[in-house]
Amino acid sequence: MIDNTSSFRVKKAFGVTMMLVLLFFAALPTVWVLIMSFREQAAIFEPIWESPLAVTLDNYRGIARSDFPKALLNSFICAGSSTLLAMIVGVPAGFALAKSRLSGKFYASWLLLLLRMAPPVGFVIPLFLLYVNAGLIDTYFGLIVAYMTLTLPLIVWSMWNSFAQVPDELIEAAIMDGATLGKAFMQVALPAARPGAVAAAILGFLIVWNDFFYALIITRSSTVTAPVAVMNFISYDSVDWGSIAVASIALTLPILPLMVIANRYIVQSLSGAVKG
Amino acid sequence: MARIELKNVEKAFGKVEVIKPLNLDIEDGEFVVFVGPSGCGKSTLLRLIAGLEDTTAGTIEIDGKDSTSMPPGKRGLAMVFQSYALYPHMTVRKNIAFPMRMAKIPRAEQKRRIESAAEVLNLTDYLDRRPGQLSGGQRQRVAIGRAIVREPSAFLFDEPLSNLDAALRVGMRMEITELHKRLETTMIYVTHDQVEAMTMADKIVVLHDGVIEQTGSPLELYNRPVNLFVAEFIGSPKMNIINGEQASGIDAYKIGIRPEHISISTQSGLWKATVGVAEHLGSDTFFHAKVEGMSDPITVRTDGNMQVDRGSTIYLSPDEQKVHRFDSQGIRI
Ligand SMILES: Nc1ncnc2c1ncn2[C@@H]1O[C@H](COP(=O)(O)OP(=O)(O)OP(=O)(O)O)[C@@H](O)[C@H]1O
Ligand SMILES: [Mg+2]
Repeated sequence: MIDNTSSFRVKKAFGVTMMLVLLFFAALPTVWVLIMSFREQAAIFEPIWESPLAVTLDNYRGIARSDFPKALLNSFICAGSSTLLAMIVGVPAGFALAKSRLSGKFYASWLLLLLRMAPPVGFVIPLFLLYVNAGLIDTYFGLIVAYMTLTLPLIVWSMWNSFAQVPDELIEAAIMDGATLGKAFMQVALPAARPGAVAAAILGFLIVWNDFFYALIITRSSTVTAPVAVMNFISYDSVDWGSIAVASIALTLPILPLMVIANRYIVQSLSGAVKG
Repeated sequence: MARIELKNVEKAFGKVEVIKPLNLDIEDGEFVVFVGPSGCGKSTLLRLIAGLEDTTAGTIEIDGKDSTSMPPGKRGLAMVFQSYALYPHMTVRKNIAFPMRMAKIPRAEQKRRIESAAEVLNLTDYLDRRPGQLSGGQRQRVAIGRAIVREPSAFLFDEPLSNLDAALRVGMRMEITELHKRLETTMIYVTHDQVEAMTMADKIVVLHDGVIEQTGSPLELYNRPVNLFVAEFIGSPKMNIINGEQASGIDAYKIGIRPEHISISTQSGLWKATVGVAEHLGSDTFFHAKVEGMSDPITVRTDGNMQVDRGSTIYLSPDEQKVHRFDSQGIRI
């Protein structure tokens, strides 16, 4: 039944208004950056109606010629590999934690939470000292391992929750049906927890993609990631706002589809997609 | 085909002893029902046989082979769970094929068995659906289908019908009994519903607090319950338990008499009683009567057509042959 009482309509109107306000605040900077990216350097801070024709593609051309595409690629490599590796280790770990009857599980959850909540500085300084000695500064390997300190706890933690929602009976049924534990995991538990796994992978990827701090400390030149590379557009005496705008767009566009997928799966994984 | 023997099997979770040491023989081809109140350890006992729980002590033999520490998948048993436990991401066909795929049965044979199982279980039109698109009864049948295709040596059912509505439950009960007659495979069936136990079982095992109270055929349990617990648990409505002078008069601490073993008269009888609430089922009427000198009202069955008015006086006579006598420990005399 559709509720058409006036109090409901008032509530609905209020809700819509609130959403529009929120949307406005969220969209404003995006639109601004978009406009900025097409403005000539000199006209960037002028109101658009004063010089509506000061439009150019120079900012885009400049970015294409710079080191920024390489940095984007680095970001992809780091975010992709550290997420992939963390999934390979973390998904089975989450399964084990959710389904085994080990007694020490409480401590594991405690440790994981600690790892998730501790500020990155806590890891970066020891890592930095270690890396300097081990010659891992400015290497992909070093950076990817460092990022796994972010992605692994996240993925273990969220897969633990996802697998906890898969009924024990489902796994027991597979075992009774003659599946080994590995097959029960791969063919029954994992598909049942798939929305959670996709969401965890995307969140892991995004954390690394958006990271600035780790990359700032651990990279020098060849492995610089995109958020750090943006800093190159800020020099002593000037800031290249047009390029920064383009770089921001280049950083955002690739993750838009991920956001859309993640949105769907996060909702699914929250609404218990494993129910028979 | 399997004969299952439990020898001094015991199970404790931490300090809690859920199954006290017990012995049980299940003959090949037998339909055995574990029945008992909630929490008495029925599921645990079934899961011990399945291998989903490790025994704390004792041995489980399947066909004379010690299987106590054999992994569940190797025991050749199939289990049907209360929640059906269908794989949600697989079609009905894939669900049913799963155990055969694990056993590496050739494709053609898989197909043949799926089709014959689907036909028996009326699932032919649903083979390409997902479990989420099926009704409760259909899901139950898929779960059974998944169990039969692997041709197990015994079936284990854990309250398979408790999620179905009453009408469907009666239908499925028949289907499972039918299946047992056709396959002649050992079946172990867990339920807390004594009607299911009575109607389906060759042998009933009554469990109470992790102890087997009695093992026997439905009629043995009905006619000769070994103790008060079994006497009260088996039969519907419950047996009347009477203590006081009616009991001590025949050298018992308590006596039991089933509602269907009491005759009624408006003129004369052993006990004078006042009629209370009546329950009309059509075929039978059960009414509660307050007998002079007894603390609790007793339940009596009569013909569905007999009219008894609330508050009127009647005379009740228990059938002396059918009176069960129990001592102060609740043990049958
Ligand atoms: N994994 C476990 N850890 C600790 N205690 C358990 C565990 N599984 C079962 N128990 C306990 O063992 C007892 C028997 O449980 P079980 O599930 O066998 O009962 P049941 O007879 O099947 O009951 P129901 O009719 O409610 O299904 C219960 O008291 C329960 O709390
Ligand atoms: Mg149970």
